[in-house]
Amino acid sequence: MKSSRFVLIFMLGASLFGLGQNPSYQLDPEWRAPAPAIARSNPLTDKPDTAAGGKKLFVRHCVECHGNDGAGLMKKHSADFHLAIVQEQSDGTLFWKITNGNAGKGMPSFSKLPDLQRWQLVLFIRTLKAAGSASADPEK
Amino acid sequence: MNLVVICATQLQLDMRRIAFQLAVIIASATTICSAQESPFFVTYTHHMEEPGNLEVETTTTTGIPRSGQRFYTAPYLELEYGVTAQWTSELYLESSSVWGDSTVFTGWRFENRYKPFNREHWINPVLYLEYESVNEASRIQKEIEGGGPDLTSSNRELRGEHAHELESKLILSSDFRDWNISENFIATKNLSESEGVEFGYAFGVSRPLATLASGENCRLCRENFIAGVEMYGGLGSTLGFSPHGSAHYIAPVVSWAIGDNSSLRFSTGFGLTDQSNPVLIRFGYSYELAGFGSKVSRLFGGKR
Repeated sequence: MKSSRFVLIFMLGASLFGLGQNPSYQLDPEWRAPAPAIARSNPLTDKPDTAAGGKKLFVRHCVECHGNDGAGLMKKHSADFHLAIVQEQSDGTLFWKITNGNAGKGMPSFSKLPDLQRWQLVLFIRTLKAAGSASADPEK
Repeated sequence: MNLVVICATQLQLDMRRIAFQLAVIIASATTICSAQESPFFVTYTHHMEEPGNLEVETTTTTGIPRSGQRFYTAPYLELEYGVTAQWTSELYLESSSVWGDSTVFTGWRFENRYKPFNREHWINPVLYLEYESVNEASRIQKEIEGGGPDLTSSNRELRGEHAHELESKLILSSDFRDWNISENFIATKNLSESEGVEFGYAFGVSRPLATLASGENCRLCRENFIAGVEMYGGLGSTLGFSPHGSAHYIAPVVSWAIGDNSSLRFSTGFGLTDQSNPVLIRFGYSYELAGFGSKVSRLFGGKR
């Protein structure tokens, strides 16, 4: 009985890891921010406490495709924010990508959010780098 | 004969299973998603429904009459689905209830919006095409074209006049320093009558009350409110292009994200001409089901 429960938990965990996350995420070479956008700096960098608002926005707008922990979903081909190829991008690039989206690949534009809220999202995405496996799950 | 009965029973069971699973999907679609709605009732912006999401909205348009007009309320149901990040489809079912007269189903509409560019620009165009199968008792006034709706006749007189209309809009919309500024130009052709092409317009400006999100899950935070104003009306037709002799309104609007999935919208429009109602009150409640498309797709064995 115990062994069957262990197998079940193992299979569930393996399937969640294998299908739920997207560690094989690759950047879309066509989705590149222009130079002026790349150079923009985050006006909230010196206000790290505003990342809490970014976490709330992340839960509202991003977890559907990027997962609670921001690790991406393989079935959605969405970015794993923990990966170096994402975190190495400048704040301005991430802001530009959130603003414009990548419609051809299913990423909607979030220009409907005010500028500062998009910068809050960038700030929160940076905390995923620092925390490694930080979760945006409001219960955690 | 037995085979037919077995097949029919099996079909009935399958339909029941699908209906049950659809109900479960709707009931379990509690994934948190964006509920921050544009506050406009008439003016469209370039912001599309997120792909795979279904938004269900109920709205009422209530007209306070001037002398000779009738008091009415026109509820409608709107189902908005994000087909892709650039393409949104909507289905409307509408009705009209006139004080001292009757309540009638006034028809349905199916619209599609397509955003041709996949990047943000100073001005973002969206192309809009809608087919309407409505009768002349329709009073929801999702847009006003030509001379506007007949606000004096009874439902009994109007419901017999059925119209098949093709409506197009050019939507231009800009986000500038947290303000949204949108302009819609409307052209409608009634396929059932030879009344030319009717024109209309809608303009709107809106802004969130706060631009920084707080870290708390609050209901009454300023960031949950968007306020604005919109103006809309008819511009006559190819038989006589003129803003005169048509209904025109100016309407302060507000939307409130009451939860992560739901929002309320409210507007009080003020009629600017004799063809308008003095006051037009609109109220809407919307609920967004995130990932609805992929859940339905899985129901039918898809991998999406």
